[in-house]
Amino acid sequence: VRSQQHPPVRALQASAVLRRASDEHKKEPLTSSSQQHFDSPPAGHQPEQEPQGPHPSYTGQGGQESEDYESEEQLQHRILTAALEFVPEHGWTAEAIAEGAKTLGLSVAAAGMFHSDGSELVLHFVSECNTKLSKLLEKEQKLVQLGEAEKKPIDDFLRDAVEARLRMLIPYIEKWPQALSVLLLPRNIPSSLNLLTSMIDDIWHYAGDQSTDFNWYTRRAVLTGIYNTTELVMMQDSSPGFEDTWRFLENRVADAMTMSNTASQVQSTGAAVVQGLMGAAVTVSNLREQN
Amino acid sequence: VRLCRCRCRALLSRPAGAVRERRGLAAGPEMHFGFQTVTEEERREKIYQVFENVAKKYDVMNDSMTLGIHRVWKDILMHKMNPCPGTLLLDVAGGTGDIAFRFINYVRSVRQRQLQRKLKHHQNLSWQEIFESYQKNKFNSLGDSQVVVCDINREMLKVGKQKAQHLGYSEGLSWVLGNAEELPFDDDKFDVYTIAFGIRNVTRIDLALQEAYRVLKPGGRFLCLEFSHVSNPLLSRLYDLYSFQVIPVLGEVIAGDWRSYQYLVESIRQFPPQEELKAMIEDAGFFKVDYENLNFGIVAIHSGFKL
Repeated sequence: VRSQQHPPVRALQASAVLRRASDEHKKEPLTSSSQQHFDSPPAGHQPEQEPQGPHPSYTGQGGQESEDYESEEQLQHRILTAALEFVPEHGWTAEAIAEGAKTLGLSVAAAGMFHSDGSELVLHFVSECNTKLSKLLEKEQKLVQLGEAEKKPIDDFLRDAVEARLRMLIPYIEKWPQALSVLLLPRNIPSSLNLLTSMIDDIWHYAGDQSTDFNWYTRRAVLTGIYNTTELVMMQDSSPGFEDTWRFLENRVADAMTMSNTASQVQSTGAAVVQGLMGAAVTVSNLREQN
Repeated sequence: VRLCRCRCRALLSRPAGAVRERRGLAAGPEMHFGFQTVTEEERREKIYQVFENVAKKYDVMNDSMTLGIHRVWKDILMHKMNPCPGTLLLDVAGGTGDIAFRFINYVRSVRQRQLQRKLKHHQNLSWQEIFESYQKNKFNSLGDSQVVVCDINREMLKVGKQKAQHLGYSEGLSWVLGNAEELPFDDDKFDVYTIAFGIRNVTRIDLALQEAYRVLKPGGRFLCLEFSHVSNPLLSRLYDLYSFQVIPVLGEVIAGDWRSYQYLVESIRQFPPQEELKAMIEDAGFFKVDYENLNFGIVAIHSGFKL
């Protein structure tokens, strides 16, 4: 009911900040709001939060134009990305987000869009790191496929992937313990667990794991353990260039490899033992028959 | 009071469209003043008189009507705002300054914590540097935050100024006489715009919301604390009983003004419920509009951003 009464109002009052994706290369849109009123296309902006779809009165010319406007989520992403550079100074807090918003030309009150404990900032950072890691691994895979690089043995691959991912934390290492505590808040556990498992999944996928049996679970559990313990070691590492951490990582990956070798050895030994016993039983029964 | 209840039922039985007209959206001269029907001009005048009469006893009446809970509501509003030092706040219909004082306290404590953290990082300062840092603290205890209290009613502003002097608030505080429907400020000025228990008394709510949009900076926040609709039926009946039987009597006994408090209670019933106010705020151009019910809907905080 409301929309049918007021579409013209919405159209004229186009957003002051949410800008067209095509404008990203132009200068910051700090024009005054009155200018916006006359410059905006008649179709106006369709924010994602409105429950109804695009109003029939707009889609005529506006259908394509409205999609070019940035959504609120994209603006929030931009603010969080800008806030990351203030984290070493302010920590993972609403203050860092406020400073980030300021650099984008927004008021500091824009930090009110997020939780005051900085959860969204940490989750955003973790998700960005995971994306970067995926891209890196994909690039390496392409090189291998094109024959320009050699395929790494599995333990080297895992070690390099985990090291690359952990190196992304280095600029924020001082405040990382705070970030870990935020990730462990009950409210954030579903999201943080999700991010962790998808990252581990990614690494195994690019490592070439195609298992469809119980191995799938054990592999992921092992790598999660390696990643988490190495992360904690890194928190307390004060050696130059974090060499203690990388050595720890190497040892853990080697352990994991040994463990899997041992496991397969145990399996084959077990099979051999069983066969031996079966053979002995058959021999004994034959001997008894003979007697 | 029973007469008012009958009128209340009669109003509610009218078709939704007519009731919406009465909620300040129509261009026509017919408006509501509590449960009476008046013209726009009459409404403005009557409301001005109401607040002129209650100004001196406003705070006392707030405490006795809400049993002191209004302080908690205002504190919750401040926590929701979570302002950092350097914020410019415009408190409209801020009358006796409750929100403004809370803002100053909040920002001051945040600033203290910030300065303490900075000092902790700076080890090995010379005595000269320490002395200078303390000097700076004295002149920057608010971190350049400011609050402007704007009210249409001279009496309410007078009471507010007296309170500020009495409580010792002087820095970062200004008092401006102005109409929420036509604010005497430039565009894109303020970080946060609040209106606590005031928007109910504005005659053209849509104009007030548009003005709020105009004076806020891009990224700025709109916060509205107001009495709202209780959906729980049992609580709603108790609330009605308390509102119509107890509050006007309190008004007569404490402030000597039964009519003003009758108006107050009726105006709460006439005000749009949460979803409708949310829609109006969205219409003014705000994004990420949301509301939070306090005390099951007796009071609601609406928040929106100028994006």
